[in-house]
Amino acid sequence: MLKATLRSFLAHKGRLVLSALAIVLSVAFVAGSLIFSDTVTRTFDRLFASTAADVKVGPKEALDEAVPSGNIPTVPADLVGRVAKIDGVAAAHVDAAVENITVVDDKNEPVGPTTGAPTIATNWYVTERSPVELTSGHAPRGPGEALLDADTADKKDVRIGDTLAVLAGPGSFRVEVVGIATFTTTNPGAALVFLDTPTAQKKLLGSEDAATSISVDAAPGVSDGQLKARIAAELGSAYELKTSDEEAESSAAQLGGFLDVIKWVMLGFAGIAVLVGVFLIVNTFSMLIAQRTRELGLLRALGADRRQVRRSVLTEALLLGLVSSTLGLAAGIGLSLALIQLMGALGMNLKSTEMVIGWGTPVAAYVVGVGVTFVAAYLPARRAARVSPMAALADAEKIADLGRPLRMRAVLGSVFAAAGAAALVGCALAEETGQAAPLLGLGVVLTLIATVIAGPLLVRPLIRVLGGAFPALFGPVGRMSQRNALRNPRRTGATAAALMVGLALVGGMSVASASMTKSFDQQIDRTLGADFIVQNSNFTPFPQEITDKVRATDGAGLVVRQRFTPLAVRLPDGKRVESTAAGYDPQLDDVAHVTYAEGDTAAALAPGSIAMDRGFAEEHGVRVGATLPVEFPAGRTADLKVAALTDQGGSDSLGMQGGLFFGLGTLEEYVPGGQESALYVNAAPGTDPGTLRDRLDQTLDPYPQVQVRDQADYKDLVRDQIAVMLYLVYALLGLAIIIAVLGVVNTLALSVVERTREIGLLRAIGLGRRQLRRMIRLESVVIAVFGAVLGLGLGLVWGVAIQQVLALEGMTAFAIPWGTIVAVVVGSAVVGIVAALLPALRASRMNVLAAIAHE
Amino acid sequence: MSTPVADTAPDRAEANGVAARARGLTKAYGSGETTVLALDSVDVDIARGRYTAVMGPSGSGKSTLMHCLAGLDTVSAGQVWLGDTEITGLRERELTRLRRDRIGFVFQSFNLIPTLSAAENITLPMDIAGRTPDGAWLDQVIDTLGLRDRLKHRPAQLSGGQQQRVACARALASRPELIFADEPTGNLDSRASQEVLGFLRKAVDELGQTVVMVTHDPGAAAHSDLVLFLGDGRIVDEMPEPTAEAVLERMRLFSGGSPQPSGSDADAIRAAAPREGGSSDVLDPLRKD
Repeated sequence: MLKATLRSFLAHKGRLVLSALAIVLSVAFVAGSLIFSDTVTRTFDRLFASTAADVKVGPKEALDEAVPSGNIPTVPADLVGRVAKIDGVAAAHVDAAVENITVVDDKNEPVGPTTGAPTIATNWYVTERSPVELTSGHAPRGPGEALLDADTADKKDVRIGDTLAVLAGPGSFRVEVVGIATFTTTNPGAALVFLDTPTAQKKLLGSEDAATSISVDAAPGVSDGQLKARIAAELGSAYELKTSDEEAESSAAQLGGFLDVIKWVMLGFAGIAVLVGVFLIVNTFSMLIAQRTRELGLLRALGADRRQVRRSVLTEALLLGLVSSTLGLAAGIGLSLALIQLMGALGMNLKSTEMVIGWGTPVAAYVVGVGVTFVAAYLPARRAARVSPMAALADAEKIADLGRPLRMRAVLGSVFAAAGAAALVGCALAEETGQAAPLLGLGVVLTLIATVIAGPLLVRPLIRVLGGAFPALFGPVGRMSQRNALRNPRRTGATAAALMVGLALVGGMSVASASMTKSFDQQIDRTLGADFIVQNSNFTPFPQEITDKVRATDGAGLVVRQRFTPLAVRLPDGKRVESTAAGYDPQLDDVAHVTYAEGDTAAALAPGSIAMDRGFAEEHGVRVGATLPVEFPAGRTADLKVAALTDQGGSDSLGMQGGLFFGLGTLEEYVPGGQESALYVNAAPGTDPGTLRDRLDQTLDPYPQVQVRDQADYKDLVRDQIAVMLYLVYALLGLAIIIAVLGVVNTLALSVVERTREIGLLRAIGLGRRQLRRMIRLESVVIAVFGAVLGLGLGLVWGVAIQQVLALEGMTAFAIPWGTIVAVVVGSAVVGIVAALLPALRASRMNVLAAIAHE
Repeated sequence: MSTPVADTAPDRAEANGVAARARGLTKAYGSGETTVLALDSVDVDIARGRYTAVMGPSGSGKSTLMHCLAGLDTVSAGQVWLGDTEITGLRERELTRLRRDRIGFVFQSFNLIPTLSAAENITLPMDIAGRTPDGAWLDQVIDTLGLRDRLKHRPAQLSGGQQQRVACARALASRPELIFADEPTGNLDSRASQEVLGFLRKAVDELGQTVVMVTHDPGAAAHSDLVLFLGDGRIVDEMPEPTAEAVLERMRLFSGGSPQPSGSDADAIRAAAPREGGSSDVLDPLRKD
């Protein structure tokens, strides 16, 4: 029996290629993502472990910064003296390091990475833990001298003697590059600028008495833990102390966020590949078994029992899974190498020789590859086992599983559809995001399952409609292609399902993003009154200096500043809510239209007052006039009076729960030294906005981190932010489509083989080659469009549900991106044509006589 | 050189002429030492308006002859005409069009497209060509074959005999110059076989069609006007006005004692064939007139 199985596997290897390809792809993504993240994690663990100080003394911070405020928490620099005297301390250093700073060359071009990795300015001191060493020039001495890291210097062609401008919070300053420092460890992609310590303190932190942390090295024989305890005993609980392990862990956690994104994206790809691959495998095995019914019947007639037949098919699947997983694992190693190269191009220099392939990687690869194949082949194998010995004698035409009723599918499909619909309706009716999101997820999964199960039931009605015009348009060729697509609803359903999954995702996400964009557009139209906004494209804060320059620009009228700060509010219902609040200059009404339920801007921005969203206030029992205890960073607290409630219906997003805001004066009182996040600028009376814009552009030329935008530009910016999410979805879609195309190719190729005699007959009675190709192409197109219609239909339902969840977050507009939808349908027809190329060619090349005589 | 079927039949042949003609038709498979001659320089004329049967033992080349005459297969040497058109040397697309417009086919099995109804199968060649079927003719064909109440059925819903009748109807529907039937009764029981053979006879007698039927069944061959016997890739004999017994008797010559007719027999037959062909002219017109 095993020999028969092996023979059969080898004999059908051509037909299994496409299924194998789908498995290879999914395994490659699984393995690739695991290897890549293992490698990166190992590299950075080493880096952090080797570079972190034994103990680090930093400021205590109780509030998370969901939105960057530009505030740099510091500790007194003279702590270093106290710490140095502690027993067991070998050395203590002042750190003055600022991340996300902008450094520009003499052409006002930023020298930092453009990939989102930070530009870090810090003080220069050498210990054995320094990740860099001075390789040319000399260490910075006094203000006006700096070192640059070698990678950045190379990339931006900066040499010793060049001048750079550091655009720091307290003010920008010029430095001459006096030396180059080279990474001795892996460069994580950041750009580094080193200053001498007093300069760093003064120019970056604004005071020679401030430090961002104190790094402490232990004396020999003193453990990090012991040292930490001793420092804690000396300094009390006012500071946060971290051992090197703890520091490495939190650094890794920070980096982990970025790595997790890559990992999840890759696993998302793998998931799509697996999901779509399953349909492909089910279809392939079903077709192979249908074609081999006689052979299986013969085996049964010769005495093989059902279990043996089933096992034979499953063994074949196992072989397919093993071979594909092995290839997939190899492809995964290649993929991770490619990713490492890509990271290198982005500035993160990982060494491919240090690639980590943990034991988990091959295990995961084989579990996914073999598991998926096995599971997908199980149902076809059971069907194979049910072949009766009589099938060996019967006419092959009559035993294909055309006739099996779809009743079971109808019942199961209805059950899942009903449950999914209930979940989605529940999601739409939910009043809190917390409730709605899980229901949304559940509804999406259930409706997807329902559509997959019921897909074959929808084949007849939908393809009758979709292909309805075919007979009229393409005559008998059209009629036959439509009927061929209807011929085996299971097969058509499963083939289309592969495409459906990807398109449902796109449908849902494009509705969601179109709705978000429309909501933001409406919100911007409704609330934004300023002629221009000056801000960073990442919404990160910028130095005070820019505000001054903008104010001083000729023709600039009113300038309203916006700042953010993290805070925590204790509410009357006993809850403590951590959020981000905005501070504005008093003339807010001149640049924005805020709708108030109670109170007005003057009240909201008055000293000691705070305003919030009406819904949030109602939820927590806050009334106008109530006094709320508020915690600010650095341990400051205040009691603020609720002076106004807004009715914006949409400020409750992006970590800004409650829509809290107050006067900029209030913010400055409790959070000094912050930076502006945006400036709202109106043209002075008599100044043409166009003229002002040109002047602002000129003013801001030395500050490449900020841009001037009018309302239309601002909408584009918001749109671009949303679009990033869509690009990811489109990439996923791309992969899903590739595999779906493989599926359609697979189905058509096997159908062509199955219909050899029919094709021979058609050719004999006068069907031209071109007509035959068109027939196969049309069948392919109708299957692909069927999948697209199912997928988009499902995606629209999801989109409506997602929009309901977004509405809870204030994004109330609903939009269907018809352009995208039409493009997807047209695109799917193209996919159909592409998928049909090879099978059609093969069919048209068939020898007529051989085809007629085909058994 | 004279031919087995006379191209100068006294009365009918004048009016009807020749439906298909082959000269020096040779079909070889393989090359070098292993060359097998399926057809060895065959000359044949198929008279228009007649029912010709092609018989011979397995491997005699009878199917190959039909395929070459129908433009389904290429020839190694020689020439083939359909009516006045030389089809040897035609390109693939022209051959396809020729089959579609001028030839009807009935195969042994798998004659119908399973996704199309009987009516759609019948008109398929004309639909492919984009021509409108002649309604009156179609009705006549359908009624002759007794398919009126089966038109909406799919092939799977028809019996084997009904399926072959639909195939006959399809072959007749476009009023082709020539209908080729390749073992049309090979898969049928005797009653259904008789029906189908009867209809092919009717097609010739009542509808004025020309039929060439390849068969190995003497009973089937007995329905024809003329039987051509093939052996070793050559036409070795012909028999006008065949009866089942006579055909069977003649077939026995092929298998009697040796797998092939003895040299002298074969030579005698070959030598006799032209003469007999000439003399058969006398008999040719009799059946119908």
